[in-house]
Amino acid sequence: MQLVDAELQESRQVLPGQWLQQYHAPALAVSARAGQFVHVRTGDCSGLVLRRPFTINTADPATGAISLHFREVGRGTAWLTRLRPGERIDMLGPLGQGFQVDSRSRHLLLVAGGLGIADLRLLVDEALRDGRQVVLLYGCRDASEVYPSSLLPDEVEYLVATDDGSVGHRGFVTDLVLDYEAWADQAFACGPLPMLRTLAGLVAGRKGRLGVATLGRKRGGGRPVPLGSPAARKKAFLQVAMEQNMGCAVGACLGCVIWGVNGPQRVCREGPVFAFDEIDWEATAGAGTHKR
Amino acid sequence: MRAKKRVVTYGKAVPPSRGATSGPAPKTRRTPTVRTIRSAIVEPRPAPPPGPASPAARPVGPPVAGPARSTVDLSVDLGRGLVLRNPILVASGTFGYGVEYADVVDIQRIGAICCKGTTLRPRQGNRPPRVTETPGGMLNSIGLQNPGVDAVLERYASQWAGWKVPVIVNVAGESIEDYVGVVRKLDLVPGIAGVELNISCPNVGKGGLQFAIDQEAAAAVTRAVRRATELPLIVKLSPNVADIRPIAAAIAAAGADALSAVNTLSGMALRADRTGPFLGNTYGGLSGPAIKPVALRIVYEVAQVVGIPVIAIGGVTGLDDVLDYLAAGAVAVQVGTAIFADPTLPVRLVDQLAAECGRRGLASYGPLIGTALPTRPNAASAKGVEYRP
Repeated sequence: MQLVDAELQESRQVLPGQWLQQYHAPALAVSARAGQFVHVRTGDCSGLVLRRPFTINTADPATGAISLHFREVGRGTAWLTRLRPGERIDMLGPLGQGFQVDSRSRHLLLVAGGLGIADLRLLVDEALRDGRQVVLLYGCRDASEVYPSSLLPDEVEYLVATDDGSVGHRGFVTDLVLDYEAWADQAFACGPLPMLRTLAGLVAGRKGRLGVATLGRKRGGGRPVPLGSPAARKKAFLQVAMEQNMGCAVGACLGCVIWGVNGPQRVCREGPVFAFDEIDWEATAGAGTHKR
Repeated sequence: MRAKKRVVTYGKAVPPSRGATSGPAPKTRRTPTVRTIRSAIVEPRPAPPPGPASPAARPVGPPVAGPARSTVDLSVDLGRGLVLRNPILVASGTFGYGVEYADVVDIQRIGAICCKGTTLRPRQGNRPPRVTETPGGMLNSIGLQNPGVDAVLERYASQWAGWKVPVIVNVAGESIEDYVGVVRKLDLVPGIAGVELNISCPNVGKGGLQFAIDQEAAAAVTRAVRRATELPLIVKLSPNVADIRPIAAAIAAAGADALSAVNTLSGMALRADRTGPFLGNTYGGLSGPAIKPVALRIVYEVAQVVGIPVIAIGGVTGLDDVLDYLAAGAVAVQVGTAIFADPTLPVRLVDQLAAECGRRGLASYGPLIGTALPTRPNAASAKGVEYRP
């Protein structure tokens, strides 16, 4: 974790209201892992007192560039969209625990709902770099919000579900999961809470008979590992990236908790990526974020 | 000429000082003058070299790196031997246990760290969401999530003992026994420099009424804790009261070494669709620049009715805020919400305050304290509620 002065290199609207910005921040580009985030200080305007957390969408150690993908939802994000290339902003990062990919996993199933794609985008790059196969399932409201396939590497198998059926499958993205759950060694998801809850319920219903936990093991599985440990997450079939309103983002203020089966969990420190069985999905029902 | 070797130590030992108040807290006075408050500042040490005090004639030495912090004495005595190297503290709840920001902040340069509110038993805190931004501030309703005093001591006390920066443990509870229980465990533990009482908690024994809004309850908990420990005792005042002055005076009379003012203001926010409150706990505490005028008013009032040091808290985002609070009678300030946006702010404020003193030719920041307080006794602001509708 460090404070970094990041220079905006490129900023463009990739979807209605959604922006993709590339910053020059070598220190972050080198150390960032998929699922981690940066805490961005917005301009000193209109009494904004908090930073904004953004997942690191992509990171390229070779060029020192990272990108952020966000929706303009409030004054902080609106301020970001008005930045011009060459301007510098203050970022704190990389923060949080990223996705844990088991070394034996060959087939990764990624499930994104809307802007949740931003959390999974770097995982796509990392997985392909490591020679893994990636299927990306993407769900959104209608054709206007479909993530452009031009922003994805060619090697990814990319399937879309829309609520109105204007592109791809008509219905929820979680419907598509059934076709791939047997193929996948591990699954990673980010999106609206109902989507994550549905996925968690689906996986819980399979009672751990899926994926990497069963690979190369005799019946009965390995030694038990404590819930929430990196080892347990690595073994988990489903990992989810959660979001919550955030204060400090370094674990000091305890503002960004969600409810886990072992009590409150800080999204900024224990998360934002959790194994699906760490989260108390009933208690998390009310979680949500304010417009930022 | 040979200079005598001098060892300057920080921490709980009271440095040699000529007229500084130390030991037992000074008696509460009705209207202490600026002079009284100034005495909370430790005299410069070592004593400035003899000679004319004009800036031009200051001793010429090897150039020091960075701002002139070595030439200005920023130390402050908060009573009972709690001497800070500078008056910039970090507020409870915004800096965790000091370890969280260690990667990006030189925490040893901060005046003191007030750690997250600590209770006798572990607490899980309130249901999320717990924080949200509001115009010029933020609301939080953490609900005192903490692992309990035993776990806090086990995890952090040995680290704290090795730090140069004093750690003041913020203590919360729902009954006087809770507070006393926590403080007993903190007493005599190396690494604990002092105690700050968060009395903005519901008093279960008194029907859930906050200690902080009840003069007798506030004094009772202060008295009980005072009896339980020799640690320096700071009591944190709540702004959610009609008149803070009798409460502050009662707490001072009950044996507090210092007061910190203020805790968060009670507030709330709604969900975006306006179907209900946004925070899981419905109500939250407002902090940040939005509350500074309120906190400044309270510091100004409290400084006039107590003879013990006042530590200002509320919306400090820059040196101007620090100077405002000092002028209103505070001897130190705590930085809180601003840390979230700007973690290095407290350390920068230390440098900026030293530079400001240097610019004004001051050997210590004492002369900056209380300059805005009324000069004549019984000024309107000291006795009345005339500004209240």
